[in-house]
Amino acid sequence: MAVLEVEGLKKNYGQLEALKGVNFKVDQGEIFGLIGPNGAGKTTTLRIIATLLTPSAGRVTFMGFDLKKNPEKFREKISYLPEEAGAYRNMRGQDYLEFMARFYASNQEEVKEYVSRGQQISDLGARLKDKVGTYSKGMTRKLLLARALMTRPALAILDEPTSGLDVINSLEVREIIKRFAREGVSVLLSSHNMLEVEFLSDRVALIDRGQILDGGSPQQLKDKYQAPNLEIVFKNSVRSNLS
Amino acid sequence: MKNFSHLLVKEIKELLNKQLIISLAMMLLIFSFIGNVTKKEMKKAISKQKLAVLDLDRSDLSRNLIGTLNMANFIIEEQSGEKEEVIQKLQQTDLGVLVVIPPGFSQEVSNFKPVEVETYSYLRGISISGTRTSEVVKALLDTTNDFLSNQYLKKRLPDINPAEIKSPIKNREFIIVKDRMAEGSSAAVIGTLYMQSFLLPIILMMIIMYSSQMVITAIAMEKQNKTLETLLTVPISRQAIAMAKMLAAGLVGLLSAAIYLYGFQMAFSFPTNELSSATGGLAPILKQLGLTIDTQGYVLFGLSLFLAILCALSIATILGVLAEDYRTAQSLNIPLVFLILVPYFISLFADINTMSLPAKIVVLAIPFSHPFFAMQNMMFGHMSMFWLGLVYNLVFVTVMLIWTARIFATDRVLTMKLKWGKKKVVL
Repeated sequence: MAVLEVEGLKKNYGQLEALKGVNFKVDQGEIFGLIGPNGAGKTTTLRIIATLLTPSAGRVTFMGFDLKKNPEKFREKISYLPEEAGAYRNMRGQDYLEFMARFYASNQEEVKEYVSRGQQISDLGARLKDKVGTYSKGMTRKLLLARALMTRPALAILDEPTSGLDVINSLEVREIIKRFAREGVSVLLSSHNMLEVEFLSDRVALIDRGQILDGGSPQQLKDKYQAPNLEIVFKNSVRSNLS
Repeated sequence: MKNFSHLLVKEIKELLNKQLIISLAMMLLIFSFIGNVTKKEMKKAISKQKLAVLDLDRSDLSRNLIGTLNMANFIIEEQSGEKEEVIQKLQQTDLGVLVVIPPGFSQEVSNFKPVEVETYSYLRGISISGTRTSEVVKALLDTTNDFLSNQYLKKRLPDINPAEIKSPIKNREFIIVKDRMAEGSSAAVIGTLYMQSFLLPIILMMIIMYSSQMVITAIAMEKQNKTLETLLTVPISRQAIAMAKMLAAGLVGLLSAAIYLYGFQMAFSFPTNELSSATGGLAPILKQLGLTIDTQGYVLFGLSLFLAILCALSIATILGVLAEDYRTAQSLNIPLVFLILVPYFISLFADINTMSLPAKIVVLAIPFSHPFFAMQNMMFGHMSMFWLGLVYNLVFVTVMLIWTARIFATDRVLTMKLKWGKKKVVL
């Protein structure tokens, strides 16, 4: 059953058409990957669904709520991890998790539950008592991912979730994302690392120049384009669309 | 509401950081030090002045003169010996002035001939108390001349009071403010009002400047640290985010200004205190003239100040959105600071009511101007000016808040940037 439906989504920045009518659906507990090169429209799509940008045309619904009419309802259900995100440098990691948890929790018990989950996801241990300003880029990214997932959102929107992480941490993060999806969290992620998307996603959409070129499960796409991986799938897809 | 107060607390904590607390504490220490030094110097300056007197005449008249000086707020330390020796000897003391009464002083006065009384001032620095030396000499000469002229007049006209001969015209001074009149010195009234209100523009300037600086910085830092996008996706309305930032900046700005004011008073309150005690007798005159502010007046002034702060905060919020980082925010704050300084300097050095119409319009178009002139307008009955300012600021702040809310509710909060290179605003 689709929880997120995107239909004919368009976004213009002045004369520039960033999105030219994007359509896709995300099911509950599904990891849906948007793949494409830089400037393809991945981040714009995610930002619209995260209520940061308003669409020029098209419709986005999530669990029956229309994004244009109920952006605040959206925000209660979703969690967004931007590609270039930061945390408040003067706050301790622990305080940052608690600060963010309070926006979603209805009581103190829930705050504790979210923070405890955030601590586990971040895996930062005693460093959570240090100020965020002292963290490495990788540590900050893990803290932000923990913030995004600790509330068990109905939809987690993750833009380049492993950006800035080393190989070991990237593997851990991918496992965490998979685990949350198994537990019912729908995940919409974007990455230009197509191998990562192939590993994580149940279904993917190939996006280029503001348009969805093709979509399906990684295996379906590989079979369709007779390619060993999604990178080749993407290349062949772009070529066939141009011809 | 829960999320709003939660965000407000975070904003206040972010602004009220260690650096700000340390700088405020340092400022208090510095002001306290300045205050101590200044007060000591001022006390020295207004305390009874020590005066060395070398009486080479040793007549009844010279003894009378010393007695008069003694009564005229001087502490006399009589010297003996040769003049040159005494001059040299006093170099080693803290005495500031030496008066030498020459031999034959009494004889010359008796013959109504001018007498030369020599005074020697010892300059040992350029402190406030040091500058008193010339005043001491002048007071000394005035006292001496007064004493001698009284002596002459008593000798020639023993039945008439010398004071009546020297000042045959008496002056009764009246002050009129609008339809009220009171007897008193206009110079004293103006001096008192000026001294009582000279802190007001400084407080106003600091509150408005601090608050606007803080809100610009708060928004710019969210952008620089890449935390704004995340904040904009949490379940709280955009308007609440903008309002929390503005309110936090206003509160911290108010607190900083209050601490600065406290420090300022610690450092420079002495003359004001002295003046208020010295001019305590003016209070009934001020009341009679309607030059005092009652509770209702203070409420109206508070309203004017509140609206001006809101104007500054809303402008600063939009400027903060335009800034990409902390550095740009500081640059964007400069024009705002200049706008605040215009009414500040005008309130200190000019009278808005006597300015030319175009100049008046320019000054009053600045929304922060109105609280600077509010007290004066209320005291001197220019209530139409006051109400006009209040309405103008209310309209201004309403328009700005609606604009701010719209910016925060749309993509513009992320996409609006001031590009210095291309010199245009991208909306």
